[in-house]
Amino acid sequence: MSTPTLVVHNLSYRYRTRQEFALRGCSFSAYPGEIILIAGASGCGKTTLMRCINGLIPHSYKGGELSGNILIKGEPVAGHSLSSLAQKVGTVLQDPEKQIVGAYVLNEVAFGLENLALPRDEILHRVDEVLNFLGIAHLRDRETFALSGGEKQKVALAGVLAMRPDLILLDEPLASLDPASALEALEAIRRLADSGKTVLIIEHRVEDVLRIRPDKVLYLEDGMQRYWGPVDGFLAMADPTQVKLPAEHAARAIRSRMDAAPRSDGAPILDRGHGEGRGEPLVVFEHVDFWYNPERPVLHDVSTDIRAGDVIALLGPNGSGKTTLVKHAICLLRPRRGRVLVAGRDTRKTTAAQTARTVGYVFQSPGHMLFAPTVAEELAFGPRNIGFDETEIARNVAEAVRITHLEGLEPLPPLSLSYGQQRRVGIAAVVAMQSQVLAMDEPTSGQDYRHYTAFMDAIMAMRRQGNGEAPFKAILFITHDLDLALSYANRIWLFAEGRLVADGPPEQVLADDALLQRCRLVPTSLLRLNRALFPQTGRFQRAEALARYLPPTLAADVPTGGMPMA
Amino acid sequence: MLVNWNYKERNTIVQRLDPRARVIFILCAIVAIILVWDLRVLVLWLAFSLLTLRLARLTWAEMRRFWLVVLPVVTFLVTLTALTGRGGEEAYRERHLNWQATWTLFGRSLSPSLSIEQLFFAASQFSRMLSMAALSLLIPFTIHPAQYGVTFKGLGLSDKFAVATDLAFRFVPTLGRDFATVLDAQRARGYEVERLGGGLVQQVRNLAPLIIPITIGAILGAEDIIDAMDLRAFGTRPKRTWVTQLVYRRKDYVLIAVGVTILVLTIILRRLGIIAFWVPLGWL
Repeated sequence: MSTPTLVVHNLSYRYRTRQEFALRGCSFSAYPGEIILIAGASGCGKTTLMRCINGLIPHSYKGGELSGNILIKGEPVAGHSLSSLAQKVGTVLQDPEKQIVGAYVLNEVAFGLENLALPRDEILHRVDEVLNFLGIAHLRDRETFALSGGEKQKVALAGVLAMRPDLILLDEPLASLDPASALEALEAIRRLADSGKTVLIIEHRVEDVLRIRPDKVLYLEDGMQRYWGPVDGFLAMADPTQVKLPAEHAARAIRSRMDAAPRSDGAPILDRGHGEGRGEPLVVFEHVDFWYNPERPVLHDVSTDIRAGDVIALLGPNGSGKTTLVKHAICLLRPRRGRVLVAGRDTRKTTAAQTARTVGYVFQSPGHMLFAPTVAEELAFGPRNIGFDETEIARNVAEAVRITHLEGLEPLPPLSLSYGQQRRVGIAAVVAMQSQVLAMDEPTSGQDYRHYTAFMDAIMAMRRQGNGEAPFKAILFITHDLDLALSYANRIWLFAEGRLVADGPPEQVLADDALLQRCRLVPTSLLRLNRALFPQTGRFQRAEALARYLPPTLAADVPTGGMPMA
Repeated sequence: MLVNWNYKERNTIVQRLDPRARVIFILCAIVAIILVWDLRVLVLWLAFSLLTLRLARLTWAEMRRFWLVVLPVVTFLVTLTALTGRGGEEAYRERHLNWQATWTLFGRSLSPSLSIEQLFFAASQFSRMLSMAALSLLIPFTIHPAQYGVTFKGLGLSDKFAVATDLAFRFVPTLGRDFATVLDAQRARGYEVERLGGGLVQQVRNLAPLIIPITIGAILGAEDIIDAMDLRAFGTRPKRTWVTQLVYRRKDYVLIAVGVTILVLTIILRRLGIIAFWVPLGWL
């Protein structure tokens, strides 16, 4: 075999401000044309490993303790400056929004080459070459901030590829993409490897990456290297409750645990409630039209309702009107035509503060709302605004802390908490207002599988808690994650081009592949397994719960290895 | 991620001029305007500034937000100066035709006075500030966002400063977008900025739910940008290439020459005392 592009030998790193090592004794190598998947839960050391390879450690993160060796094309990284490394190692950050600095696509893709002081003609040639390679030449003169999530991701990748690195590091490249865009990005990554580049992908969405047949998997846990080798071995050893594996593998692994310990009966079946049509209407949308510019309607003739008992997932591509609709339910927007009734009152005659008692909305990023010096004050902010008295506020805050498991954090500044805790404070802020509907925008984005299932389970459990009364009568969440929707929702709204194109239970709405395709959704292994087992289950379940329906014989028949490209 | 100003490509006489020439002209004009006290000249400047907006074919819809902020601020400042009688003391010594009023405000008796000098001083201030605002508006609204960096580079800034200025320029509309998002997030929690009461200190404290998330977000955003630039070799070579190119043409040189001439003339006229504070006392 040729010279390895990357050799990591016994690499360890400790951040200056931490006691514990973030990464310990990591060793692996990667060759030209290979795709390496780096998997593991949040905090496992994936990002630290990436920073060691691209030179941000030690050049930007100074003062830590670094040991071991990294060789790129046989040369030690240690002696290189960031600029010479930037030509060998290209890094695409998790969020393309954080990576893009150019105002226009051309300027963005050219940025690195301009910094290397290449001749202008050479830069323009390389920009066109890489835009063509990624199939985005039509975006060349577009403004970067106005691109869709998938387009931004490809432009960020183009900016890195234009520098012609041998090694490409992708940090959770799929996190903000709708399923169809994620698939397109993965196809581009496969083409990169086929053209001889070495690609390292850090990704929680293991199942998606398996579609492009990675050559090897590096699995990290708490900074330690737990597995290094081919995909099949990884699938056999990985814990399906920690890492999101293809549904068949996850269900089979849990089934075999059940067979080994007969008393265990796998994950409990989630109580998603009865769903549509049972409870009283809390929010009603009647023929809602909305636009900023009359020539480009954002919502068109949307009629539906949110009823007590609903757990609604809003699915659809970016820009299809999902967030705009939810903003109508909280009075941040008012319909141009039609009307929205919240607790029976027309939103044209109410304020956001008044509707907050009915619908509480948790924005995607907790950073957009947290400001108070302590968690307790943060939680008291909403109830105080909407007119609760001090005794009620104290009671609501205590209740919200208990339900969201924030005990002990009340005196701490919310901004000093971890991201996951901040998100819980965001939810608690809504619980404290005693809103009847909890609405969330991408509640699980940026969280690993274990954290996101724990988070969603906790929210679902809240529906049955409280002092004899559930804090929420209905839950609504916007997501790109089809599996999240079919695992937790009892009702799905599908959006495309500003229209509500389907509204019903997951078993019904997700049965139509053509409809999914129109909404830029790609059937997942969990959806396929659910469809196959539907005659026995009668309703869609998550993989862990499906295990009980897998007969031991079927368990042995489930194919292993990579999934075919959809 | 940085957002661009609401720029529209329009083939107008203003946009056809090189952005460097436009910035130089605008700077000369603004300095000249600051040096003038004569209302007659300032009114001409105001007319000229508004004409340039017209020539650039900027629509009211585009500029509305800007003027909705600038007009009340300028009006407030000018009125305050006029009524308190402060400011302009170096421009005039005598006062004619004093009007005196007596108002009671918060239990205190106020007796503002207005003289013809104060009135003309206010009008001069008003015209001056609006002219400067209108001219400044041309920079974000008529310069292609991809040209900011190379424009500032062309004005003599170093590569690093030119890129930094480009980013700083686009930071303003980005802040606007973040402000809107944070305001929405807090309004969903029942926060109503229009109902804020209390004294000045309390009012500032009441803005914390907006100011803190925006500030923290801006700091974290800046760190991300620094990492992203480091990873693409920013600032590691003594020189960088600029893909966007600008070429001076004859009309651009003419524009610069006109700007510089106006500035020099203004300085001379001011030295000669010709464009000093003017009150039409002769008419009275």
